Amino acid sequence: MAEVEETLKRIQSQKGVQGIIIVNAEGIPIKTTLDNSSTVQYAGLIHQLVMKARSTVRDIDPQNDLTFLRIRSKKNEIMIAPESCVEIL
Amino acid sequence: MSIPTAKLKKPTLKVTPSSRAMNISTSGILRLNRSATYARSINASVSRKSFCLAADSKILEKSSVQTPKHTIQVLDENGKDVTPRPVYQPDPAAVQSKHSKIFASDTSGGTMSDFYSTTYQTTTNASFAGAFTRSLFGSGSVSIGSQSIMESMSEEIEDPSSKRDNSISLSDVQVKREEVKELIQEEMLDDMVDLYLVESDTLCLLDMPAISVSVDSMEAESVKERNSRYTELCKNRTGNDKYMGRSMQTFNGASKTKEVQSEAITMADAATIANNWDMYDSFCSAGQGEVDLSTDTDKASIAEMIHQNHGPTRTMERTMSVISSSTIVSSSSSRMEMEPFVVPSESKPDPELILQSEEFQQHLFVMERIILENIYQPKLAAYRQLPTLEDPDSMPKAVPMVVSRREESSLDEEGPPTPALERLWSFSCELTTGRNVSSMAWNKRNPDLLAVGYGQFAFKDQKPGLVCCWSLKNPSWPERIFTCQSGVTALDFSASSASMLAVGMHDGTIATYNVQSREKTPVIDSSDCVHKHTSPVWQVRWINHERALSGEDKGEALISVSADGRISKWFLRKGLDCIDLMKLKRTRNDRFKRQVGEKERKSEALISRQAPGLCFDFHPTDSNIYLAGTEEGHIHKCSCSYNEQFLETYQAHKGPLYRITWSPFCSDVFLSCSSDWTIQLWRQDLFTPVLGFMSTQRAVYDVMWSPKWATVFGAVNEGRMEIWDLGASILDPTIVNPASPGVKLTSLLFATETDCVLVGDSDGQVSVYQLKNFTAGEGTQVGTLEDIIGSTLASQL
Repeated sequence: MAEVEETLKRIQSQKGVQGIIIVNAEGIPIKTTLDNSSTVQYAGLIHQLVMKARSTVRDIDPQNDLTFLRIRSKKNEIMIAPESCVEIL
Repeated sequence: MSIPTAKLKKPTLKVTPSSRAMNISTSGILRLNRSATYARSINASVSRKSFCLAADSKILEKSSVQTPKHTIQVLDENGKDVTPRPVYQPDPAAVQSKHSKIFASDTSGGTMSDFYSTTYQTTTNASFAGAFTRSLFGSGSVSIGSQSIMESMSEEIEDPSSKRDNSISLSDVQVKREEVKELIQEEMLDDMVDLYLVESDTLCLLDMPAISVSVDSMEAESVKERNSRYTELCKNRTGNDKYMGRSMQTFNGASKTKEVQSEAITMADAATIANNWDMYDSFCSAGQGEVDLSTDTDKASIAEMIHQNHGPTRTMERTMSVISSSTIVSSSSSRMEMEPFVVPSESKPDPELILQSEEFQQHLFVMERIILENIYQPKLAAYRQLPTLEDPDSMPKAVPMVVSRREESSLDEEGPPTPALERLWSFSCELTTGRNVSSMAWNKRNPDLLAVGYGQFAFKDQKPGLVCCWSLKNPSWPERIFTCQSGVTALDFSASSASMLAVGMHDGTIATYNVQSREKTPVIDSSDCVHKHTSPVWQVRWINHERALSGEDKGEALISVSADGRISKWFLRKGLDCIDLMKLKRTRNDRFKRQVGEKERKSEALISRQAPGLCFDFHPTDSNIYLAGTEEGHIHKCSCSYNEQFLETYQAHKGPLYRITWSPFCSDVFLSCSSDWTIQLWRQDLFTPVLGFMSTQRAVYDVMWSPKWATVFGAVNEGRMEIWDLGASILDPTIVNPASPGVKLTSLLFATETDCVLVGDSDGQVSVYQLKNFTAGEGTQVGTLEDIIGSTLASQL
């Protein structure tokens, strides 16, 4: 448990990381380092995208599963690890 | 008799023959009159029903449906009420929708009169009308349907000659009212609309079998016979004793009506999405769940088992959306009554649980690595000699142009580019700052894994040592951290079992760690061993003995040298135990060779009979021969088969030797470095060094041959790091990299796969440098090295 906290802290302190959001299966944020409104916004939007992406991957081959999702945009990059949905900007 | 099948509904109008009061609805509301029909022909029978409405009167309709019911009464010429009774009573609640047919003003529409004047003589009318209504029912779209019907009707209307016997009773059709403006309606009239009339199944409403048989038919004879028999019977019946008349009365029980009321059945819509993978999942888990649950009925254990099933098999099952868990329930609900209880508790795992779960940690781990990869990508790519991906957004376009121009100009001036070191990154974290890097070792199997030992050299400031295993993929935090009681002075990874790491410490303890596990404790510790070292262990190495010596197993053994003068070989019997391969005796000079076991001493008082050993190296091809360096500055060549006597001794250094290494390419050349500021190159058969290198007046702590080129080696002294290329120059180092001020460089390691050098310093940082523009020529330069040696020797003679 402590190791998890430490890892989170280390990731957060890396240069370029804006924030971390941890979201549970329903899309409700559990832990976040951003402000509330951004968190809620991100959580809602990303959750649907992850569902869709996972559904896509598995529709093609049911034995496959989504392991990681990265969205690169002009200004930043969103990294999503599904299952428990950790998102880092 | 015409049977009007008109369905009369609520709107009632008293229609008398003379009345002309008609409601003309010209509103835009398009309704089909329920009871509107139209007939083309007015039969003669019509005259019997003498109600006449103006032929051009419009179809009346109530302007609003909600007006109370009007019933149409038809009065015969005699005033009798011959209002046809409706065959079908529609549901009063469904009055809302009505059809009204609005005909254009010029068309003579079917009117009430027409309605009543319809004649349908055929018995099939009923069915036909039914069919038509049914098809009307079937037509889904309202306006077009009605419009089309209207059109068809209007078409028919315009055809006066055709006798249409069909009556369209539209009273049953309940279609939504639509408000259409009259203008649009006119246009719609002109449209061509396709109307598809489909004949529906024939319903048999009445079946009257024939009661007469034709004379010609086959059964005629038998029928005739039966008939005659019957007539005879009837004749015989009267007055016959065989037959008696009897009367009966049946009781009709009094009937009683009974009412039952039931609650309205509430319907709820449920929907679920069955994806490909959803079905696959439920199939898999249902198959597994059934097997386990059939044996156990305890709810708690079921929960546990489902938990187990879900956990390892599919990570997302546990936190899967409720949809799939509900499908699991539904698919196996017949057998598992318990399961529905389990599912709700599972579907919302605790946030704490998530944070603690293994998968979460794994994800975090991966995430961290990815972020770091983002950050370090150019450096890592340079390390692995891959083309670096340029970040397309970061650099403005103007800069590279300027830079390239400058580069070109500088290139022109200087000629071929000079070899240089480029600093890529350094392994360090806050745990390691302030500690002295004492040794580094690559993992033999995974070339990305580096073990670094931290420990002080000097005796006075000892603190607990640290061993960190770093991975290239994460330069900011080590993968494994092992704390040891005393400073770490030596490290080596085993080659046969690549996860074993041997650690030698300042207090003489040797421990082996298993790097794969996350345990912080060593696998084996030598503190309990009787023969353990009593002084700092300066070097450990795993050596593979190909030739089995007597009584010993072939395989890998751990050899260590320590300051108490012993070179010991460790093995695992019952616990870690060692035997001494060699005791390093003190030798004053080569003229005095001490005898074995002699206790005579010179007049000097020696603290110990033995010389502290600082380093050793086994011959790369012959694992029996090894070199050992002592604090006195002597190099002893020893053999494993003789543990009492040295084979040779090389004396040249005036200070303690810190490192001896055989050349990986030339099998009888070795290098040694010591604190007397020099590095010496030796050949096995010569007792004086072939070449000596000195660049600064600092103790040289570490030296290592390059694994790629035979003429290149690196050396680290207190103030700087040097790369020597003997092919280029034997007097000066080719590349010199000074250390940061205040920091002493203590160890050096070449990377095996790439052109990189790792340098450890006294501040706990391990910096990775890449050799740039370094070309020692093609091939391994073995020939060059030998030439150099040969020429040097020749010049010395």
